[in-house]
Amino acid sequence: MANINYKTYAMNAITPMKWWKTWIVRVFFFILGAVKPLQKDLVQLSFIHFARWVIIKRTKFPHAAQQQPKEELKYDYLLFFSNFNGTWNQYIDAFSAVLSRGLNAIWRWSEKFPGSVPVTPFKQYIAHGQFDTDYYYTAYPYAATNDVKAAHRVQAAVEAFEKECAGKSPEEFARSYLTFLVAVQCDLGQTGKAPVGT
Amino acid sequence: MANQSGNVYGLTILSPILQDPNAETSHNCALRMKLATLPRDESSPFARVSSTHMARLVVMDDVVYMGMPSCEEHLKSQYLVFETNFDGDLDTYLALMAREIPTEVDGIWQHCWGYPGVQDVGGFISYMKKCQITTTFYFADVNNKTVQQTLKALQTQAAVAEFIEHNQGRTPAELQKSFANFLQMLRNAPPPIPGRPGTGGPPRIETRMKWATRN
Repeated sequence: MANINYKTYAMNAITPMKWWKTWIVRVFFFILGAVKPLQKDLVQLSFIHFARWVIIKRTKFPHAAQQQPKEELKYDYLLFFSNFNGTWNQYIDAFSAVLSRGLNAIWRWSEKFPGSVPVTPFKQYIAHGQFDTDYYYTAYPYAATNDVKAAHRVQAAVEAFEKECAGKSPEEFARSYLTFLVAVQCDLGQTGKAPVGT
Repeated sequence: MANQSGNVYGLTILSPILQDPNAETSHNCALRMKLATLPRDESSPFARVSSTHMARLVVMDDVVYMGMPSCEEHLKSQYLVFETNFDGDLDTYLALMAREIPTEVDGIWQHCWGYPGVQDVGGFISYMKKCQITTTFYFADVNNKTVQQTLKALQTQAAVAEFIEHNQGRTPAELQKSFANFLQMLRNAPPPIPGRPGTGGPPRIETRMKWATRN
């Protein structure tokens, strides 16, 4: 089991849906993808590097060889994969607190979904559908989502400062340097190992 | 397309795992043992497929039963789930996998039905696409920066913090000269290595304050 690689947690979950409910979830995701302001809460949570929902129709499980037995399923399945920072409990708590309406819109079509609030049955439901990761790689294991965004702001500030200071006198440079410091000071937090939590 | 967010592609592949009742070790167990031995740091095979932000491999044993009144059902095959987030387009990425990490790809996917091997890159790409599941909704928080740009930015962030700490109280002329040297050093720095679990940010600041200690 390798769900965690330094600061990032790889979560996988699967839930069954009656086949005739699948299109409702597809319509919801289509709207969510097309109307960017609807993703505001997801962006503001700011601890998810990448996340995806994948619907597999009961007849569309990959069949790669003649000898492979064909699946005979009654349900379509909703797969959820997330790459997030922090602990599982923090993640599900935040999801439940901030995105409860969105989560209900996604999972209420899955069998026996209890709703995202109260959080205890919601956690039990997700844990029941979760399966562990066997191998997990990240290119920047020591950096959380906020570290990545902050680093890109610092990079942009350095490039802008370099252009701005070309040909300036030392005194003018020192004044601009102070402005530069004020601009980047909130983005210089130390990266490294994640704090221990449950 | 739902598989993409900005410049980042979210690939989901489900490869059915071989079943052989005569095998000494079942393919799903052998696969799990193989995955357990793969390095996860800068020695990871995916560090060599340098456009990979994050990747995972998971053996999915079965679907779940949520209890009455829903129906209980089971898969006839187990599946290897490959979930990856990378820069660029799918064909280039799969060709890069075939070229850069052929031994590892063979070692993993040899346990799957219909796997043709990586010798024939076109065949390998076709196989992976056959097992691909289209993503219904994909979210990438930072979707306009490549892996290399992100690693470089993290390197710059750490270096800037260190520069600021070490250049306090300098005269304007010294500061300007020091900053010019800093930029030069930053430009000449070797590119950061993907997957390395080192730390960035400024070094821990030592304090002489005594109030925090009891004695």
